[in-house]
Amino acid sequence: MADAAPSPNELDQARAQKGSFLRNAIAAPEFGPFVLFVLELAVFYAINPAFLSVLNISNTLTFTVELGLIALAMTLLMTAGEFDLSVGSLFGFAPVLMWTLYNGGIMSLSVAFVVSLVVAALIGLVNGLFVTRLKIPSFLVTLGMLLVVRGTALFVTDGFPQRTWSAGGQWLANILVGDFYVGPFRVYASIFWFAAAAILLGYVLTQSKYGNWIQATGGNPVAARARGVDVNRVKVILFVLTAVMSAFAGVISSIRTSAANPNSGSGYELEVIAMVVIGGTALTGGRGTILGTVLGIFILRVMRNGIVLIGVPGLAYNIFIGAIILGMMALHSWLERRHQAGT
Amino acid sequence: MAEDLVRMERINKFFGRVQALDGVNFSLARQEIVGLLGDNGAGKSTLIKVLSGALQATSGDIFMRGQKVDMRSTSDAIALGIETIYQDSALVTQLSIARNLFLGREPIKGPPIFSRMDTLLMERVAGDLLKRVGIGKTIPASTPISSLSGGERQAVAIARAMHFDSELIILDEPTNNLGVAETHGVLQFVRNARDSGHSCIFIAHNIHHVFQVVDRIVVMRRGRVVADDIDPKTTSVADVENVITGDIAGVAH
Repeated sequence: MADAAPSPNELDQARAQKGSFLRNAIAAPEFGPFVLFVLELAVFYAINPAFLSVLNISNTLTFTVELGLIALAMTLLMTAGEFDLSVGSLFGFAPVLMWTLYNGGIMSLSVAFVVSLVVAALIGLVNGLFVTRLKIPSFLVTLGMLLVVRGTALFVTDGFPQRTWSAGGQWLANILVGDFYVGPFRVYASIFWFAAAAILLGYVLTQSKYGNWIQATGGNPVAARARGVDVNRVKVILFVLTAVMSAFAGVISSIRTSAANPNSGSGYELEVIAMVVIGGTALTGGRGTILGTVLGIFILRVMRNGIVLIGVPGLAYNIFIGAIILGMMALHSWLERRHQAGT
Repeated sequence: MAEDLVRMERINKFFGRVQALDGVNFSLARQEIVGLLGDNGAGKSTLIKVLSGALQATSGDIFMRGQKVDMRSTSDAIALGIETIYQDSALVTQLSIARNLFLGREPIKGPPIFSRMDTLLMERVAGDLLKRVGIGKTIPASTPISSLSGGERQAVAIARAMHFDSELIILDEPTNNLGVAETHGVLQFVRNARDSGHSCIFIAHNIHHVFQVVDRIVVMRRGRVVADDIDPKTTSVADVENVITGDIAGVAH
């Protein structure tokens, strides 16, 4: 018996190694969200197996990726230390603008699409310039912009939804949200746009020098500026990116649902910010993770879907979301403090 | 006489109605190590901030290598070869040592649009530099700054100045909050800097540290330079202290 047993020394070493691997995994900001996501899937599946049915998965994915496009861009903006409350209003405004221009016979759908993205970029530019040149906190600037953009959408349309389909088979619509079946799965093209954006932005944030500048801008703007990083330009570019992504997501959503409602996107700004912080990106900037945001996106959307499927009244949804946000924030701050102390 | 690396002439700086610098003339030769001394509020830090581009002088001229220069920002100063290491070393605590060292000047590889940081090169160079400043054995270059001690952070800032071969390195209280071994490392670095062709301006409260490494001592009091040619080899610490506090007028040496 004594022969077979490893010496206490070896045991200790093995335990220490295993411990440090576990500790590293747990210290990663994505670990908490990952565990929560897996837990969520397990609980919902245990209660109602239809949760993991093909139909439910493809339905959940469809809208998730539209909101997710905004959250990906918001991750970079929040890593640079700013955030944008006007994303929801742009989500509603951009398609309204596009369909108004197209339905009025002013331009073709593809030109109207480009025009609405350019207008969104200009709105992002104004946000960025107000924040960087006038030194007004992004909370106030983008809150003002939220009202301006939403008000414009309502005023232009008299509050009525726009007709969205006066010509079938538009090539642009197929590229953006054309659907097809892979076996029993109904797949929308928008999921490829989401995947491409996640990979590209994740690459930019972690591998490129611009990612280094974004993190430095949010972490210590004075130090970043002293090293020659144009902090203001970094922020303005990210405001523009976030605005364009919101408009892009809004257009995709309007084509898929055949509706351009000036009111759509209300409240998305807070849901998007919640997705980003749940994923482990710091609200105060300096630290951001695209992988975490992808997990955060799925955690919230799966929660919305699963709650209904297991029979909890949909009206109770916000209780769970709020609890998740509080719980994850507590976890992240605990990890942060433990990390700082463990030097 | 060799041409000066830096010459500052008649520098005045007002903060509102308070005059922080009053007609300061200051010059520094190539490969010279100058100690800048003075009590709190004497104007040392203001003078250094003007020279490093962090503040603009109200009036006066700055010449680099005989050419008049116009420094509007710290990046202008860095481009001219002036590197400043501040008391609270300007590092991004969330980023790793390697990423901080190369911040703003990241080496890249790959095709132009999808270029990425050359992480391996960055970590290798950073590792070598850390060894030269004496903390490389224990700390890998991928460690975030937030888990370093004050002295280790100072060493990282110094490593950065060494790597980018700035002609003039300004050290603003570099030995504050440092342990004995770390202080020794910083002083050794300043001595080596001259041999490798750098000039240094060394600001410190601890006169003994200054005496150990500099060629010349400049003393400021109430926004003016009151002595600019004290030789540490022929002057005693007590004499310099008297100049700093203003107990005797002028310099006896």
